[in-house]
Amino acid sequence: MNPSSTHPTFASAAGIALVMVGAWSAPAAWAASIAPRACDDATFLRRAALDLVGRQPSPTEIEAFLADDTPGKRAALVDRLLDDPAWATNWARYFRDVILYRRSDDRAIAMAPAVEEFFKRHLEDRAAWDEIAQDVITATGLPSEHGETAIIIAQMGETADIAAEVARVFTGVQIQCAQCHDHFSDRWKREQFHEFAAFFPRIAIRRGPGEGIDRYEVASFDRDPRAGRGKRPENPRRGDLEHEMPDIDDPSLPGTVMEPRFFLDGGGVPLGTADRKRRAKAAALITADSNEWFARAIVNRIWTELIGDGFYPGIDDLGPDREPRSPEMLASLCRDFVASEHDLRGLFRAIMATPAYQSESRSRADASRLPGEVSCPQRLRADQLFSEVLAALGANEAMLAGRPQPQGRRNQFAGPRPLFNSVFGYDPGLPRDEIEGSIPQALLLMNGPQLARAFDGGRPVSPLGRLLRDHTDDRELADELHLRTLARHATDDEIAVCLSHVRETGDRTDAFEDIFWALVNSAEFIHRR
Amino acid sequence: MRSRREFLRLLPAAGFAAGALPFADLATAHAASLRKRGKACILLWMQGGPSQFETFSPLEGHAHGGGTKAIATAVPGMRFAEPWPRLAEVADRLAVIRSMTSKEGSHPRASYLLHTGYLPNPSARHPTLGSIVASQLAAQAGGEAGDLPPVVRIGGRGRGDSGAGLLGLQWNPFELRDATQSPANTEPAVPAERHRRRLDLMNRLGAGFAEALPREAADHAALYERATQMILSSDMTAFDVEAEPESVREEYGPGGFAAGCLLARRLVENGVPFVEVVSNGWDTHQDNFAKVAELAGQVDRPAAALIRDLDRRGLLDDTLVIWMGEFGRTPKVNPRGGRDHFPRSFNAMLAGGGVAGGAIVGKTDRAGTEVSERPVTVPDLFATFCASLGIDPAFENMASSGRPIKLVDGGEPIRELL
Repeated sequence: MNPSSTHPTFASAAGIALVMVGAWSAPAAWAASIAPRACDDATFLRRAALDLVGRQPSPTEIEAFLADDTPGKRAALVDRLLDDPAWATNWARYFRDVILYRRSDDRAIAMAPAVEEFFKRHLEDRAAWDEIAQDVITATGLPSEHGETAIIIAQMGETADIAAEVARVFTGVQIQCAQCHDHFSDRWKREQFHEFAAFFPRIAIRRGPGEGIDRYEVASFDRDPRAGRGKRPENPRRGDLEHEMPDIDDPSLPGTVMEPRFFLDGGGVPLGTADRKRRAKAAALITADSNEWFARAIVNRIWTELIGDGFYPGIDDLGPDREPRSPEMLASLCRDFVASEHDLRGLFRAIMATPAYQSESRSRADASRLPGEVSCPQRLRADQLFSEVLAALGANEAMLAGRPQPQGRRNQFAGPRPLFNSVFGYDPGLPRDEIEGSIPQALLLMNGPQLARAFDGGRPVSPLGRLLRDHTDDRELADELHLRTLARHATDDEIAVCLSHVRETGDRTDAFEDIFWALVNSAEFIHRR
Repeated sequence: MRSRREFLRLLPAAGFAAGALPFADLATAHAASLRKRGKACILLWMQGGPSQFETFSPLEGHAHGGGTKAIATAVPGMRFAEPWPRLAEVADRLAVIRSMTSKEGSHPRASYLLHTGYLPNPSARHPTLGSIVASQLAAQAGGEAGDLPPVVRIGGRGRGDSGAGLLGLQWNPFELRDATQSPANTEPAVPAERHRRRLDLMNRLGAGFAEALPREAADHAALYERATQMILSSDMTAFDVEAEPESVREEYGPGGFAAGCLLARRLVENGVPFVEVVSNGWDTHQDNFAKVAELAGQVDRPAAALIRDLDRRGLLDDTLVIWMGEFGRTPKVNPRGGRDHFPRSFNAMLAGGGVAGGAIVGKTDRAGTEVSERPVTVPDLFATFCASLGIDPAFENMASSGRPIKLVDGGEPIRELL
């Protein structure tokens, strides 16, 4: 929608860095001792590469970046990575997780590739965030061709669940708590939830012409098929043209018919409005500049993902009854985001130019850390980790697969990446401190037979076998393995540990297998600091 | 350092020299061995929604019965459908609930409901029964855990159903597709000694990271220690059903579900508090009668063997065995000889865990369409599980939104069974 790189508000990254730093004043509470220090170049490079293109930098990229002494090289790097098609792929996978992790129906998993494709295409085409939101809210069609039907398919057409998810993803407001009762801590009333749900009752999932996920098709449903038959369906959730708020004391009684109305600004459409018009109105109300929560939700989301810690404790639990941290920073980013006509690349650029993003990370558990003001380490998302493993091992997906995957109807679960995702994936909507490792994750990295093949230094064609041949100097090889896995040079202490391990082991191949294994299994490898 | 588990293994031999053990150690060992034989739960899950009429609620003398014959059981007056002769023999240890009722007729939603006690809601990630049971029993045991994962799900189709939700990944079901194969990636890639050496190297190389980010490093080290403890544990032999004597394997019979039941017993015996064994294919929209007969052929024998086996080993009183699916099937047989989804009245069965055997709870009308006596809702059923296992159903977990979520939302246990 807009050519971001020349946009006046989100100007060149170098310029924006100054703008942002100028707009931002250090909290008075910062004593010099706890003020964040800027991170070093190698850390910045790995962080930015993982965040933007979903993999660590290669040894060559690292050397080039470290040797570069042009001022503004960090901003130039961010620009370059944002133009890399891998940025679109990486974030398309992220938004796939945002929606599909909340599926109430597992069949929706089969549309994962289509959801990825939808977001990838839009991100590559520099679509603005409001354009993406409108497509998702007004989606119809076959799931495999229309990834934008993701929320509807993930909730299998359930009116109330679609409403809840649209509100969560695009306004960051968790209004569905008000579905059954007035919200326990926020202002939302039960009526408001059901008025909002009333935008979505005419979405129908009907039998599609295809197989797999295309056995379903999202359509508009504006004529009552039972008209004249005079009988309520056995399943009251289906077939109503208007949304009813159920009677809370006796759900078997007819509910109250609700008129579509948006809880954040009161706008709506009359009863009887056709599905397309109804949902177009919902999309317009949600993405309107007058709805500040549209910008706040995505700004808080991307900030949380990039900084590791959000303006709000929940990535999508915002709203007028929550106090943001660093409200000036949030307001400034939102203002610029709206002025840029919802340019996502610009938003990334602006956040990555802030002192918070440029800082050395502090543990989430560090009490002296001012929440939201300093970078926090994050566990890599499954897709990032998988790409990182591939790069570290010098392997490609087919190598890890071992043998061709059988073609079958459950094929979407097959293949190393989906397998990795099923073990390492997590719901991006989770509070960051709830994201923990699991035993199957440790087991996969420790013992996975495919990885074990790549660690095998005894085979001359294995990645490690080749490195052992190419680097005859142990010190050099230890350093090379650090570069490939952790994307930084080894420290003197680490070199010393490696050399003594080689000596004690007595067998060079065994020793370096152990070192490679230890690096891929390290806490540093699975975190982005 | 010698692990508690190793210590326990030495216990029988050390028992002869009990006088030599300090009292405190003896007491700890005793408590731990009690825990090892503490409460447990095995869920036999019939994915797809099993027909109540062709299982434990036959409808004799009505067209809706579909002509399914009923057979006598070990309990006078308690009749099962014909394909279940072995469970009929142990009916004195079974409680059949014939008046289950719910409103949810879609597979994923009903499956979630019967696994968690709640309907799906994007704002709250309700924990599955296994995670509830395991976390609650672990808390009662002072947080001490064995070497094996606390929740194991056998034969599920991956990613499905529900996980630990808000309880955290630690309580996620450990998924095992096939009981006859050892779980993925548990075979150490290198000998134990070298594995330990690698872990040590990992920790030494991680010193710099640990200095900068101590909490992240400590969590990581603890996780690797737990995973290592598991794969190097001699308890891992529990996963090897082939180690079972031929006579026992014969009793459980052939097939994946049978292997799953046998594995469930072996795991429970080794201190795993919750095991779910899944039988797939109960969604009998067509050809209901032949299909159920075939499925019953896979489930009847091992389920009966499991109950006898637990009983023989003195584990049945403390182990609740549950048989259920997500809903029942329509009383009216459809034109394709099938039965469709029917949540309004269905059945479930319990055994062990202090539940009265030889009992029938509730009934439906003659046509099998409405519960006519003693309706049991899903929360009632979950409250009953809690009562059997000594868990407080009103215990509240905190959702990430800050909203407290009770283990069971309302519901009254079926007191006549307890």
